[in-house]
Amino acid sequence: MQKGEMYVGWSTKEDVRKRGGSGGLVTSMLAAALEKKLVDAVVVLKKINEFEAVPIITSDVNEVLNSAGSLHSVPSNFAKLIADRNLKVALPAKGCDTRAIIEQGKRNAINLDNTYIVGLNCGGSMHPVVTREMLEVMYKIKPEDVHGEEIEKGKLIFETKDGKEHAITIDELEEKGYGRRESCRYCTIKVPNNSDIACGNWGVTGDLAGKATFVEINSDKGAKLLQNAVDAGYVQVQKPDEKGVAMRAKIKGVMEDLGKKWKAKIFVPMDNRLEFFRKELENCIDCGACKTVCPTCSCGEVSKCTEFHMRGDAYKMSMYHLVRFTHLADACIGCGQCSDVCPVDIPLTRLYMMFANPIQEQLKYEPGMDMRKPPYFEVKLND
Amino acid sequence: MSNVYSTICPGCNFGCGLYIRENGAIDIDFRKSSPANAGKLCRFGMNLPKLYAPVKSMIDGKEVTLEDAAKEAAKRISAGSTAFLSFGNTTCEELLAFQKVATSYLCTGVNFDALPKDTYQTLSVGIPYSEIEAAKHIVLFIDPYEQYPLIVRRLLSAKKKGAKITAVWWKALPIANETIKPADVSKLQLSKDSLIISDFHPMSDADQVKNVLALAKNAGARVTFLKPFANSTGAYILSKDAKQKSHGALVDDINKGTIKTLFCLESDPSILPAETLAKLTNIIVQSGSAISDKANIIIAHEPLYKKKGTLINNEGRAQALGGAGTNGLDALGIMAGAKFEFNALHESVKKAIGISTVDEFTVPKYDRPAYSAIQAAPKPFEAKTALVSVYNPFMWFNLADDNDFVELNLNTVRSLKLLKGGTLKIKSNGSSIEKKFKVAPVQDNVIISAKKFGIEKGMLTPVEILR
Ligand SMILES: Cc1cc2nc3c(=O)[nH]c(=O)nc-3n(C[C@H](O)[C@H](O)[C@H](O)COP(=O)(O)OP(=O)(O)OC[C@H]3O[C@@H](n4cnc5c(N)ncnc54)[C@H](O)[C@@H]3O)c2cc1C
Ligand code: SF4
Ligand code: SF4
Ligand code: SF4
Ligand code: SF4
Repeated sequence: MQKGEMYVGWSTKEDVRKRGGSGGLVTSMLAAALEKKLVDAVVVLKKINEFEAVPIITSDVNEVLNSAGSLHSVPSNFAKLIADRNLKVALPAKGCDTRAIIEQGKRNAINLDNTYIVGLNCGGSMHPVVTREMLEVMYKIKPEDVHGEEIEKGKLIFETKDGKEHAITIDELEEKGYGRRESCRYCTIKVPNNSDIACGNWGVTGDLAGKATFVEINSDKGAKLLQNAVDAGYVQVQKPDEKGVAMRAKIKGVMEDLGKKWKAKIFVPMDNRLEFFRKELENCIDCGACKTVCPTCSCGEVSKCTEFHMRGDAYKMSMYHLVRFTHLADACIGCGQCSDVCPVDIPLTRLYMMFANPIQEQLKYEPGMDMRKPPYFEVKLND
Repeated sequence: MSNVYSTICPGCNFGCGLYIRENGAIDIDFRKSSPANAGKLCRFGMNLPKLYAPVKSMIDGKEVTLEDAAKEAAKRISAGSTAFLSFGNTTCEELLAFQKVATSYLCTGVNFDALPKDTYQTLSVGIPYSEIEAAKHIVLFIDPYEQYPLIVRRLLSAKKKGAKITAVWWKALPIANETIKPADVSKLQLSKDSLIISDFHPMSDADQVKNVLALAKNAGARVTFLKPFANSTGAYILSKDAKQKSHGALVDDINKGTIKTLFCLESDPSILPAETLAKLTNIIVQSGSAISDKANIIIAHEPLYKKKGTLINNEGRAQALGGAGTNGLDALGIMAGAKFEFNALHESVKKAIGISTVDEFTVPKYDRPAYSAIQAAPKPFEAKTALVSVYNPFMWFNLADDNDFVELNLNTVRSLKLLKGGTLKIKSNGSSIEKKFKVAPVQDNVIISAKKFGIEKGMLTPVEILR
C-alpha cells in the first residue's frame, strides 16, 4: 500500500460495520492501531445521544470500537485536545480538525510524526441546539424520537424510532436558517487530502453503498495505518471501481463549488468596516472563550491578545480583538468554533475570515493545507 | 486517560451546561447541546478551573479526614446557638438533607419575611428563557453583561424579533433601546406586553423588590427574578414550608450573641460583615471548593462537578449532574446522626418539583399564582454620590478578576480634573480607597464597580469622590 492509492473497505467486525458511518473502517483502523501499538492513544467521540458526544482520549480498544458512527450535530474540533501533550496518537479528523492539527504542528504544539490523522470527508456539521429546533419546527418530530440520520442526494434524512424516514433538502433548511453551521457552508475542504488517509462514503457504489468506506491514502503514515488494520484482520479492502472514483471526484467538485458560492455570498465588500466591526463586537463580555476554543491558536495563557488588553481600558474596540484579528489573519481556518461558543452570539468566524480572506488570498496561503510556513512567521531581514 | 464530567456551572442560577475534564489539571469543555446555554459560558464559567482549586478538610488549621471534620463539626454544633446557612450552590438532594440538619435555624440568605407570602413562587421560579426571547418589551433592572451574561443572547434574539428593551440602570447598556435612571423609575411605561427582568439575592433591598413586583402587578406585566446562586430555585422550592431566616436577621442574631456557631453549606461566610464574623466562636464550612479562609472547620466534600444529584435552574428546569459522588450526604449524615440515602432523597426532590424524571430538555409546568396588589414606596437614595456595586459571580465567589477599577462618566472626570491613567479617591464612612477608573456612559453622581472593595453597604453606598 502506498500514497496515492484508493480502496473501498469495511470493518470485519459485523456490528462495527453496521454502526459505522459507512463501513466502520475508520473505527476498526483506529482500534487496530491501538491494539498493534502503532499508537498509545486514540481520540474518539463518546456518544451521549444523537446530538451530543464528548471527545475522549482513550487506550481502551473497546471504547474505540464503541465509537463507530458519524455524528453530524457534534461540531467538535480535536486539535486542542491533543496539543501540548506529546502523545503518540491516532484520531479521526474532519477537514477543519486536520487543518488545525497541522497548524499546531507548525507551532510545535503537536508532533506530527507521532500523529496519525484519519481524515473524514465532510459536507458540514450542525449545531445541536439548532438541530433540535429544526427537528421540531421543520420536521415536526421530537428530537428524542430520532434514531439515526444520513445525508443523501442533497437531502438531510432523519430516521425515527418507528422506522419512518423524514427528508428535507439541505437548501430548504438553510434558507430557513437551519442546517449546517455558517462556516461549514463556505468551507471548501470536502476531502481532507491534507490528512494521512481520507475516508468517506462518496464513491462507494452498487451493493456496497452504505456498507463500505472509500479511502484515499495521502501519506506513508496513512499507508502504514491501513496496512496495519488489514494485517491485524480488522478491515478488509478492495480496489474501487472506476465509476466510484469518478463519482467521488465529481461530488467533491460540486461541493467545493457550492462552498465557493456561499463564500462569495457571505463575504461581500462593504463600506464603513470599522463601524461594522464595532457594532458587531459591542456586546462582547470578555469571556475569552473564542481564544480558548480556537484550534489554531497555540499561545497558552500568556499571549499578545490578552497581555495588551485590560478590562479597565475604554477603547472603542478592544485590543484583544484587534490583536486577534491580525494575529489570526494567516492562521484562521474558518472552523466555526469561535462562533459556536461565543456567549453573545457574535458571528466571530465571519469577522475573522473578513480579515483573513484577503490576506490568505494575496499571499496564496491556505493554513493547514500543507506544511508551508505561515507567512507571518517569516522574518525578511533584507526587505 | 481523562475523566470527563458533564456538569452545570455553579456561577449563577442560569443553569449553563459544560464538561469538566480532569487532565491532571482541570479543563473546561463546551457542552454545545446544553439547552440553557448551547454550550456557551460567560467569563466566570470560563474561569471555573480557578474556582475548583482543590480543598482539604481541616480542624483549626490541621488537615484531617472528611469524617473527622464532620464529627468535630457535629460536636461543636451540638453546643447549640448554631445557624445553618446555604444559598443553594449544591444539589437538591444535599439541600434536603441539610434542611434536616438545620431545623433549628435555616438561613437561605434572602428576606422572604419582608415580602408578601403570595409572591413566594414568583420570586423562586423564573420564566423560561424561550418566553424572554418571545417578549415584545423587556425591562431590565439588571446589567445583563456583568451579572447574568448568558441572558444577553436571549435578549438579542428577542430584539431581532422586534422587542424593545428598556434598561432601568445607572449606565447606558448597548443592548437597550432606552435607559431610564433608577431614580426616574416613575417614568417607566409598562403594559401587558412588558416583561421585567430583575434579580433576587441576599443583598436585595426588600423595598426595591416590592417595587418591582408592584410595577409588574399594576401593569399586568410579567416579571422574572434571576438569581446569583446555582440551584437557589431548588433551595427555595424545597424550603417553601420551612422557617427561613434572612441575611439581615442572621447578622442581627450573631451581633446579639444568640448565634455563636455558623455552619455554611457551599456558601461563603464572608457575605457577612467582618465585624459580625469576628463575634462567632465557630465557623464551619462544608464545600467542594476553596471558598473561605475564615473557617475553623472545613469539611471538604467533592466539588460540584463530581457530585450526583439534581439542580433546578432559574426557569425551573431540572438538570442532572454527571458525577457519582455523595460524600456531601455522608458528612451531613454524621452531623444529623442519621444516614442519608441518595435514592430516597432524589425521589422526594422529584415529588417536590412535580416531575417523574429529570429531563433537562423540558421545563416542568409550575403554578404561577397571581399575587395581590402591593403597596411599595422605595426609599429615595439621599447621598450626593453613590457607589453602585454590580453583584456578579466573581464577587459572590470572591474570585479574582481583572476588574479593579470603577466606571464613571466624562463629566465626572472633567469636574474632578482626574488624570488619564491616574486614580480616583473614594471616601466612605471614614475609610478611603484609591482606584483606577474607566470612562463609560454612566450617569452623573454615580460610580460603578463590579468588584468588592470592602467599603460597601449593600448595592448602593454613599461615597465622596475626589482626585
Ligand atoms: C460531520 C461529518 C460530515 C460528513 N460528511 C460527509 C460527506 O459529506 N461525504 C462523505 O463522503 N463523508 C462524510 N462524512 C464521513 C462519513 O460520515 C464517515 O465518517 C466516513 O465515511 C467513515 O466511515 P466509517 O464507517 O469508516 O467511520 P466509523 O467507523 O463510523 O468511524 C467514525 C469515526 O468518526 C468519529 N466521529 C463521528 N462524528 C464525528 C464528528 N462530528 N467529528 C469528528 N469525529 C467524528 C467517531 O468517533 C469515529 O471514530 C462526514 C462525517 C462527519 C463526522
Ligand atoms: S468547517 Fe468544514 S471540515 Fe469543519 S465541520 Fe464544517 S464543513 Fe466540515
Ligand atoms: S478564529 Fe475562529 S474560525 Fe478561525 S480558526 Fe480560530 S476558532 Fe476557527
Ligand atoms: S467569545 Fe464572544 S463574548 Fe467571549 S471574548 Fe470572544 S467575542 Fe467576546
Ligand atoms: S451565566 Fe452563570 S451559569 Fe452561565 S457560565 Fe456564567 S456564571 Fe456560569
